[in-house]
Amino acid sequence: MLEDDLSQLHAMALARIETAADPEALEAVRVEVLGRKGTLAQISKEMAKLSPEEKATIGKCLNAAKQALEGALEAKKTRFESEALARKLDSEWIDLTLPAPGPRPGSLHPLTKIQHEIEEVFTSMGFTVLGGPEVESEYNNFDALNIPPDHPARDMQDTFWLEGGHLLRTHTSPVQVRGMRKLGPPLRMIAPGRVFRNEEVDASHEHTFYQLEGMMVDREVSVANLIYFMKTLLSAVFKREVTVRLRPGYFPFVEPGFELDIQCLICGGPGCPVCKQSGWVELLPCGLVHPNVLRLGGIDPEEWNGFAFGLGMTRLVMMRYAIDDIRLLQSGDLRFISQF
Amino acid sequence: MKFSYNWISELVDGLDVAAADLSNLITLKTAESEGVEKYGAALASVVAARVESAEPIEGSKNVKAAIDAGRLGKKTVVCGAPNCRAGIVTAYVPVGVTLGDGREIRKAVIAGVESEGMLASGAELGLNRDGAGILELQISAGELLGVAVDHIIEIDNKSLTHRPDLWGHHGMAREVSAILRKPLRDPVDLSILPEGAGAIPVSIENFELCPRYSALVIENVTVQPSPLWLQYRLEAIGLNPINNVVDVTNWIMAEIAQPMHAFDADKLHGSIRVRSAVAGEKMGALNGETYELTPSNLVIADDSGAIALAGVIGGAASAISDGTKRIILESANFHAGSVRKTSSSLKLRTDASMRFEKSQDPANTVRGLARAIELLRIVSPGVRVVHGIADVAGPVRQTDPIRLPIGWLNRKLGKELPIIEVRRILEALQFGVGQGSEDVLSITVPTWRATKDISLREDLVEEVGRMIGYSSITPTSPLLPAAVPPTNEERQYLQGLRTLVAAQGFHEVYNYSFLSEETVQHFGFDPELHVKVLNPIATDQGLMRTSLVPGIWKNLVDNSRFSDEFRLFEVGREVHKRSGDLPLEVNHICAAVYFKEPGAQGLFELKRLGECIVPGLELRPAPALLYEHPTRTAEAVYRGEVVGRLFEFHPSMVKGRGSVLDLNIDALMRLCPTETCYTSIRRFPTSAFDLSVIVPERALVGDIQRRLKEFGSETLQTIEYVRQYSGAPLAEGTKSVSYRLTVGAADRTLSSEELGEARTRVIDGMRELGFDLRV
Repeated sequence: MLEDDLSQLHAMALARIETAADPEALEAVRVEVLGRKGTLAQISKEMAKLSPEEKATIGKCLNAAKQALEGALEAKKTRFESEALARKLDSEWIDLTLPAPGPRPGSLHPLTKIQHEIEEVFTSMGFTVLGGPEVESEYNNFDALNIPPDHPARDMQDTFWLEGGHLLRTHTSPVQVRGMRKLGPPLRMIAPGRVFRNEEVDASHEHTFYQLEGMMVDREVSVANLIYFMKTLLSAVFKREVTVRLRPGYFPFVEPGFELDIQCLICGGPGCPVCKQSGWVELLPCGLVHPNVLRLGGIDPEEWNGFAFGLGMTRLVMMRYAIDDIRLLQSGDLRFISQF
Repeated sequence: MKFSYNWISELVDGLDVAAADLSNLITLKTAESEGVEKYGAALASVVAARVESAEPIEGSKNVKAAIDAGRLGKKTVVCGAPNCRAGIVTAYVPVGVTLGDGREIRKAVIAGVESEGMLASGAELGLNRDGAGILELQISAGELLGVAVDHIIEIDNKSLTHRPDLWGHHGMAREVSAILRKPLRDPVDLSILPEGAGAIPVSIENFELCPRYSALVIENVTVQPSPLWLQYRLEAIGLNPINNVVDVTNWIMAEIAQPMHAFDADKLHGSIRVRSAVAGEKMGALNGETYELTPSNLVIADDSGAIALAGVIGGAASAISDGTKRIILESANFHAGSVRKTSSSLKLRTDASMRFEKSQDPANTVRGLARAIELLRIVSPGVRVVHGIADVAGPVRQTDPIRLPIGWLNRKLGKELPIIEVRRILEALQFGVGQGSEDVLSITVPTWRATKDISLREDLVEEVGRMIGYSSITPTSPLLPAAVPPTNEERQYLQGLRTLVAAQGFHEVYNYSFLSEETVQHFGFDPELHVKVLNPIATDQGLMRTSLVPGIWKNLVDNSRFSDEFRLFEVGREVHKRSGDLPLEVNHICAAVYFKEPGAQGLFELKRLGECIVPGLELRPAPALLYEHPTRTAEAVYRGEVVGRLFEFHPSMVKGRGSVLDLNIDALMRLCPTETCYTSIRRFPTSAFDLSVIVPERALVGDIQRRLKEFGSETLQTIEYVRQYSGAPLAEGTKSVSYRLTVGAADRTLSSEELGEARTRVIDGMRELGFDLRV
């Protein structure tokens, strides 16, 4: 009889757990059935009146019913919790396509980017990066580079003269002089920086532009070494194999002096408008350091020799980013500058 | 410098390379060619034609000419030239020919008459610059004009700076002959120079300024236009044909790079003297200008005064005219620096001065005279040379042969060349080559290369290298020891700084180093403290910047036209005057934020940027400068030193809110600690308490904090600003500033007594100073 009551109770409680609408209703079922004064507790009290055989049978049933109901309650409770969590999380919906607060990212000037890149390439090959003043002495800019006063080569570089007999450096080459004195032989150095020429400004001419001077002095440095170095470095800069050629060029601080051309990266040689149909683009002047320059830098040309080159960074930037107006670089115009 | 391919081919026997290929070879081995242009293309089709009749056309200035063009037949041509008349022989351009200026001659009806071709002037055919009338020729109808189509190779003057010899066709022909291994022809025959003393006395004051002066008197000269072939050759390379005498001097200059001058001998007084000008001396020049001279100018003078500016330009008074009968030909050599100085101080660059500036060869003067005799005999038949040449020269500079060890040469080039190859190349360039020892050559430099170009064995490396072709050298890696290069801390700092600032949302700009005086005054700077540019291109580039702020200001103003909010920065150098020495260049970073709308966000963004750049940067209110907002300006202080400024622009400077942070990078680098030391992590708990200070509205939060810190014992760990408040119930003109103070000790947990003590200490201390506290 008791057994029947139990199974009836069990089934009813299960149904109530199943249909409980919220955690409160569920708790009410728990208290009513499994609580200290709940129906199961009452049944267990009544068991005292039974015979030991009956006790064993009913006890077994009672425990089974208790366990089953506790399991059902727990499962239902977990379901309520996870549903509540899901609702909460759902309410926390966010549109991640909204713009982030704070300023938009800034940018580095394209010349800065190229300069960093080239500096990396050179330092990885053992070169020191040197700086030098933008206002220079006439001696460092000309005389020490084997360009004495009244040398026609001075006409090749229209110079801004300053009061006090100084000038704005017309090239980064004065850093050769400073570098030789500072480092002594053997040396490998580069010197990027701002240079000035007294020129009218238009789409392809600027009075303020950027060069990178390079110099290497060692015991045995040949034209063959120079070509090798230039080829290797330019391949790294352009991130592809480049073909270079040397032809005579006159710069008083080198002997022999060269103009270095690279095979046109646009057409690869057959000729196109960029290379003026020649297949070659003039890239940088270079040469073996003139013995007079070594001597004036405090280095004995009988023992040491070297090569030097001057890379036009402004030109490189314009090539790299296909910039057709040199004036944009120093315009401070964010519509241009924020593109990099 | 323009080179005529035809001219070169007359000097190089068997030249068999087309002009375009030759141009390329010259670029690779000698000097940079800027390209080749066909010249006088129409001339191949132009023939001489006799004008049989020229009838006026009613209502037109043109005439209807009936011409006989020989084998091309009889034609009718409408012609507008004033000299078109029956009987003359002129140049006829048939239908279908395109002229040098791109005009194509077509059959056309002009003034109602059908015209079959064109009668042409010298200018239209590129023969000379005479466009006033059609050519009048001394040849028969149907004949060709006797001038050939040419190609002009233009060489970049800069690449000829060191090569006096390449300023003439013979010099370039020498290169071509060496490149192609073809024989070179010398246009000069020295044997025709007359013997005997000169017809005119010549003296030189200073042989350094004028190493040699050669002169020759020629009489029975007929001044007239040069023959067409001569005019055409000069015109083709850009020289203006004038008359036969002047044309001959120009021809020789273009041929052997020896500038010459012809005086009208009958207009000269007494003897010729080469001397420095007297201060204030004046000379009327051939170009119509009168120059006032100084002793730095070298002149050619006769007894009456200066008759030419040495190496630059001739005088007007002694110029050749149509009536000239006797001439004095000057073929001289002048000091390059002196000519350059005169030419640049008078702003007068001439074909002659350009050549002399390159240090011409004194041996060349008499060659010029010999060539002149030969040419004058052709262009002015009947000329007679008077006596011998006057030839005054200073001591000839003897230079020793250069020792050229072949092993050394090969090491320099990085290529093994046999001695016989080196010998062949140098001989082809007309160096004297002797054998010093088994593997050493002894090289004598020819006079035309010895003036400035070649004096060292290094110079010979180039001669050999360019002739073998640098492309024949195999690139070879140098053998170098592996070594870590010394680091450049400034570069690294700047690189890191730029990257950091860009990452904070700022765009990097580069501004010019120049400022205008106007801008400098606008900012209230003293122009006298700025380094002046002596030769600025424009007045807005007259001064070197002593601050990056004006440049950034311009960026703000410019960009505010397109954008309501932006951030930018520049890393650059200020240039400050320093007596005696080079100016002081100081690296600065100048960052700016612009908001169109009012607010202080920009200033605080910049403050944060400053703290990112240098943790520990403090700001201290400072009196505003002229261009700064009077109550939004502060000095940036780091480790007790002023290192920059943070300010908003005065509203008169910028529409909207433009804020700027300007920091001295050199000072920051100097002050920044190179190494930081670790302090151990606190193991005992700390306690915190809040307190609020009631202060006048403009009391500085930073100042109060500094006070609080003074009263904190060693147990005070941090003071954190929480908020500030003004309004009820606080009195008007006051505010309450709240802080959270944290106390603790490294070795124990503080007792409640210790806590209370720390708190009381701060509160009492502040109260004693007169601060009202809410705790």
